[in-house]
Amino acid sequence: MSYELTIEPIGQTIEVEDDQTILDAALRAGIWLPHACCHGLCATCKVIVTDGEVDHGDASSFALMDFERDEGKTLACCARLQSDVTIEAEIDEEPDAESIPVRDFPGTVSRIVTLTPTIKAIFVELDEAIHFQAGQYVNVHIPSLGISRAFSLANVPSTGREIELNIRIVPGGTGTTYLHEQLKAGDRITISGPYGRFFVRKSAATGSIFMAGGSGLSSPRSMILDLLEEGSTLPITLVYGQRTRDELYYHDEFVALAEKHPNFTYVPALSNEPDSSDWDGFRGYVHDAAKAHFDNDFRDHKAYLCGPPVMIDACITTLMQGRLFENDIYTEKFFSAADAQQVRSPLFKRV
Amino acid sequence: MDMQVAKKKLGLKERYAVMTRGLDWTPSYQKMEDIYPYMAYEGIKIHDWDKWEDPFRLTMDAYWKYQSEKERKLYSVLDAYIQSNGHLNVTDARYLNTVKLFVSGISPLEYVAHRGFAHAGRQFPGPGPRVACLMQSLDEIRHAQTQIHAVSNYNKYYNGMHDFHHAHDRVWFLSVPKSFFDDAITAGPFEFMVAIGFSFEYVLTNLLFVPFVSGAAYNGDMGTMTFGFSAQSDEARHMTLGLEVIKFILQQDPANVPIVQRWIDKWTWRGYRVLTLVAMMMDYMLPKRTMSWKEAWEVYFEQNGGALFKDLARYGITIPKCTEHIALEKDHLSHQAWGTFYNYAAATNFHTWMPDADEMEWLSAKYPESYDKYYRPRMEFWREEAAKGNRFYNKTLPMLCQTCQIPLVFTEPGDPTKICYREVDYKEDKYHFCSDHCKKIFEDEPEKYVQAWMPVHQIYQGNCFPEGTDPTVEGFDPLAAVMKYYHLEFGRDNLDFEGSEDQKNFAEWRGQATKNA
Repeated sequence: MSYELTIEPIGQTIEVEDDQTILDAALRAGIWLPHACCHGLCATCKVIVTDGEVDHGDASSFALMDFERDEGKTLACCARLQSDVTIEAEIDEEPDAESIPVRDFPGTVSRIVTLTPTIKAIFVELDEAIHFQAGQYVNVHIPSLGISRAFSLANVPSTGREIELNIRIVPGGTGTTYLHEQLKAGDRITISGPYGRFFVRKSAATGSIFMAGGSGLSSPRSMILDLLEEGSTLPITLVYGQRTRDELYYHDEFVALAEKHPNFTYVPALSNEPDSSDWDGFRGYVHDAAKAHFDNDFRDHKAYLCGPPVMIDACITTLMQGRLFENDIYTEKFFSAADAQQVRSPLFKRV
Repeated sequence: MDMQVAKKKLGLKERYAVMTRGLDWTPSYQKMEDIYPYMAYEGIKIHDWDKWEDPFRLTMDAYWKYQSEKERKLYSVLDAYIQSNGHLNVTDARYLNTVKLFVSGISPLEYVAHRGFAHAGRQFPGPGPRVACLMQSLDEIRHAQTQIHAVSNYNKYYNGMHDFHHAHDRVWFLSVPKSFFDDAITAGPFEFMVAIGFSFEYVLTNLLFVPFVSGAAYNGDMGTMTFGFSAQSDEARHMTLGLEVIKFILQQDPANVPIVQRWIDKWTWRGYRVLTLVAMMMDYMLPKRTMSWKEAWEVYFEQNGGALFKDLARYGITIPKCTEHIALEKDHLSHQAWGTFYNYAAATNFHTWMPDADEMEWLSAKYPESYDKYYRPRMEFWREEAAKGNRFYNKTLPMLCQTCQIPLVFTEPGDPTKICYREVDYKEDKYHFCSDHCKKIFEDEPEKYVQAWMPVHQIYQGNCFPEGTDPTVEGFDPLAAVMKYYHLEFGRDNLDFEGSEDQKNFAEWRGQATKNA
């Protein structure tokens, strides 16, 4: 049995399990709520219940006063839902966020293209077009295995009914092995979405830096194509890294885009390209390439990071040392049960 | 025709911003630097006060409403505790010495913190930090008051607490916490915020607060425990303020980073030295122990603090060097401190004692590397001597560290058999230090620390006797005169717990409460 929790002012609705607290459900869904002690004593996570019933759990009578209970306040870290509930929390409003309801979208695999030895592009013709924000992701359902896997949409929102997913095969991974080896054109498949709060902060009207590595190119590609399609004239830089040249998919596309759009700069980086090759671009990691390109000064930008955790971590450090801080850094994070257990940063809210 | 556009409802954060911003004004006939005279001299550069993010959103109106209900709750618990003679339910009368240490060593600091935050808040041009400091200033004075009220019940029955504030300003070992906070409030407003708001409230507070409050809970002291719960929501606010301060300063200008690093290094060490009192309380003074000092340091600093410094590394801040020294000292700190207090128990406002055989077993289990080898033999010796009627009281005054004001009793890092001495010649005088870190702090600001009020020096200079004392008369007893100056009664407020009035009274009153004598 689970209930639905709507979180205002962002208007996002998430599913909450029976024994799950509001805070736990929100954090796992990638929605950051203020919190500190996590056991009902400090009152940092106080929220207002505007609709529905909650059980206050072990909230201390000093942290959540009787008069506050009467006023509909509760502590997110202790509160469990007794019905569908709407809360209002202290969350930064995102003027650029669209609140798009999640739905199921059945479709047919239209074609599969091999991009690199390990990455395939799977194109799906949906029965009905999906509306999403560039940067968001979908869940792909694999009914024969009874599992679903999350992938960012690699196409622009304007593409229409055909969506593109770039999928790297994870050695030994059940889902990606199936998608690489079993799935074929003509198969029926269902996706659900759009999910995630990774999108371009267009209203900030500053230059954007996209940093992508591994199979993390999908969101940045969609975001960049979307910005260029809209005719954005603000500076856009893509720092994109792979190990070797043959893994550097869509390289030619970005080279062509950079030639066509003077405000778009493309900085590819290869970390493990043989010395003997004719590669004349940057050799090294994405964060080092970015540091060199921006001369260690990232101020007055918004940065969007997508890639393996070690890359994200190195990029955040580089950006901060180049004076771009948390409020201007966005990363794509997938929260799982395991993530929720790990030690959260005491200092940073989002990165 | 005008179209009615439905206005979107403001979010909580926006509502707060609308309610609280724009309340200040830009002065027209006074210069900013005259109104905020302390903003520049520390070298901290702030370019945009509007980048300050309020770490919590609380209006004064809500503050009063919330705090008054909290205090009503606290006082009703305290009343019930007093009505039921709760003081007789503590584990053992030795526990009361923890309360004495708390009210004379810690509660006065809450009051100084109140003054410090009021002062810092006055100095900041940004309205966000100003309001946050104002609220913390009010929290601190409330904490001082509620602590004093919680402890006043014990003062009706037990010794040593009757003039705690007088003692705080005079008693030799209380100069350790006092000089720590005096150092902070006489620093500039930014240093004060890093020292107290960040280093103390965020990095070290768990090591102070948790041992005292959980110590109270473990030892049947409901009053102090309830105070702890009532203060916790304030403490959470203080911690978020400390974090916001450090982020804000570090993000405003790269030139701030080395200044903040020096302050973090300094105040981590200063705070740690004050925690010496907590270390010995945890390992020796609580009849029912919660955890050892070493365990507490490992959990609250090495693990939790480790995660924090990993994050701060993004700004170029490194973990203070002194933590290596602290790691070497964690097997020794509490034993060396308690040994010192045992020695000087003739000049304190609380009692000391030697651990019994069971307690020594606990200590050797918690400190397998050090207790049996270095400390058990001397403690057993002291215990045997006391049993023979030779309870040792050291009447020679110790050499004090010019920075932390702790006697030079700590050993060299890595060699627990050799006392650590450092000295510096400055102008015409020689100054002594307990460690490289205290020495470094002095060398960075010698003109500040040469002014320190050193209890031992003051006693030798004759400044710690009651007015009209003539130290030249035949048979003058300096210790007796010093105790009078402290407003402490020799033989009642000081000396060993064994044979004390507290011990006798507690046993008798508890006997009356539990037996039909």
